[in-house]
Amino acid sequence: MFIAIRDLKFAKGRFLLMGLVIALVALLVTLLGGLSAGLIKNNISALMTFPASHIAFEYDDQPNYRNSMVDREMWSGWSGYPGVRSVQPLGHTMFSSRSNRDEPLEIVLWGIEPGSFLEPEVTAGDQLGGIDNGVIISSTLVDKGLNIGDTITLDRVLTELKVIGISGDANIAHVPIVFASLRKWQEATYGPPGGPEPGEKLPAVLFDFASVIALQLDDGVDIQTIDEDLGTVTMTVEDSYRASTGYIEELYSVTAIQAFLVIISAVVIGAFFTIWTIQRTQEIGLVKALGASNAYLLKDAIAQAAILLLVSTTIGVLVGYLFGRLWVMPSGIPFMLEMNTVLLSAVILMATGLVGGILSIHMITRIDPIIALGRER
Amino acid sequence: MSLVAAEVSLFLGDGDQRVTALDRVSLQVGPAELLAVAGPSGAGKSSLLAVCGGLRQPTSGRISVGDTVISDLEPEALTRVRRERLGFVFQQSNLVPSLTALDQLLLMVHLRGRRPAAQDRKRALELLGEVDMSHRIDRRPDQLSGGERQRVGIARAFMSQPQLLLLDEPTSMLDHTRGRQIIELLVRSCHEHDVAALMVTHDHGMLDIADRIVYIHDGKLTATPADSLPPLQQS
Repeated sequence: MFIAIRDLKFAKGRFLLMGLVIALVALLVTLLGGLSAGLIKNNISALMTFPASHIAFEYDDQPNYRNSMVDREMWSGWSGYPGVRSVQPLGHTMFSSRSNRDEPLEIVLWGIEPGSFLEPEVTAGDQLGGIDNGVIISSTLVDKGLNIGDTITLDRVLTELKVIGISGDANIAHVPIVFASLRKWQEATYGPPGGPEPGEKLPAVLFDFASVIALQLDDGVDIQTIDEDLGTVTMTVEDSYRASTGYIEELYSVTAIQAFLVIISAVVIGAFFTIWTIQRTQEIGLVKALGASNAYLLKDAIAQAAILLLVSTTIGVLVGYLFGRLWVMPSGIPFMLEMNTVLLSAVILMATGLVGGILSIHMITRIDPIIALGRER
Repeated sequence: MSLVAAEVSLFLGDGDQRVTALDRVSLQVGPAELLAVAGPSGAGKSSLLAVCGGLRQPTSGRISVGDTVISDLEPEALTRVRRERLGFVFQQSNLVPSLTALDQLLLMVHLRGRRPAAQDRKRALELLGEVDMSHRIDRRPDQLSGGERQRVGIARAFMSQPQLLLLDEPTSMLDHTRGRQIIELLVRSCHEHDVAALMVTHDHGMLDIADRIVYIHDGKLTATPADSLPPLQQS
């Protein structure tokens, strides 16, 4: 690194400029990473903390939460198999609704058995099971001005729900979830508009349906066979992310932008070191004539590229991290930075950059030391 | 003998393009002796320096430096010979642009895979003192004059205690007075350090300082200038 370090100082301007470009790319990659994680969290936060291992949908080529419908035979069927620890039906319906202050609210109503493992812990207020129409709301609705004691009226069916508790961040397809009892959900989804008349008894068959089945399975359960027996299609909760609207599209577009940035950065670094090595041709010929081996010169130049990458990527990522934390996150834009994903993208950026650099630096080996001599023949 | 070249020929190019750069050249240089090889452009001076300095393998013939035959070595072994046995002073881009005068000398230690120790530093400072550069050891090439750059180059050539120096037109970038001073310094240094030197030059004005002179023309060595015309003073 004897020459490498002195070159960095000697050609400060060029290396600062290149470092700035790398740092800006690293900053962009970091911010995009935060944005992508934030979007995903905003989309499926309810599933990211979902307390089950698998979800069984009604059989469909492209199973999704919105269209799936399962019946009691399916969920009691599932409980009969070995290795199935817990089974809970889950209702999922999207509603337009209004708060008691007449604010329009898009919500997803989830019906769950009160007290089951599907019921989220409240951070404020009460759990389900008290009043019949009590609901727990996602904290993302609190951000929209809703609070304990407020009421939500579902538009079509005019069911009135009363907020009794607040859970953590629980969204699906970017829409906040309102947790009601399964029974209330079944009434709202399948029952007559406005709910049953006083004294009216709803047909018992309404209460035999839900949207999906949440499962806690041991390893090695033969899912395929059970699915064929019961007419369900079962996947892990992680795989069910893609059954949430928009998830795949968002993930792919942001990841594609990041991948392009990483490739562009590698190409730019490659181009920089190509020009830099060409500029150094005379000097490299001279040092080779003095007896420097290819290995010595390669190590020296690769160390130089590594220093440049390490320093500028670190600066870019740090600035991106601070910028994201201090400016983007408080602004309410969906944004989430986790140390390990930030480090991972920094490492990928440095590794591909180094590959680009090495491919260019390699031309050192083709420089003939004879060029150190004056031009004769 | 420090350098022995026996019946060395070098052909460049192929087929119709083939050129005889060196034609059965034989020469010897002993310790503490500076042999000047003079000749016009294109006579084969650089080719001679290239094969004697292990930068190019001759087509035929035998070259040895000290007790080592270098004319049949693989490139890697040649690189090692250059690093450990030879010293070079080139005519242009003789120094690494980003290194100070002192670092130019210490680089030679790094090339051998060592970190410079106190004694290496001491030796470098002594050598820079011998070429009268003690006051400019922290200057980079762009902060030195042409003559100063050549002085640093000479000090560097002695840094790894070579057996043989190869001097490629060391004065071509300098005016006559400075050029003479540099050649005088080289001859004196070779005598002091007991090192053999092979210098190629087209500048006949410097030849009287050398210990011995031979002339090269069309790739052949002769004892006298090949043409009867008075030697051209080129600069």
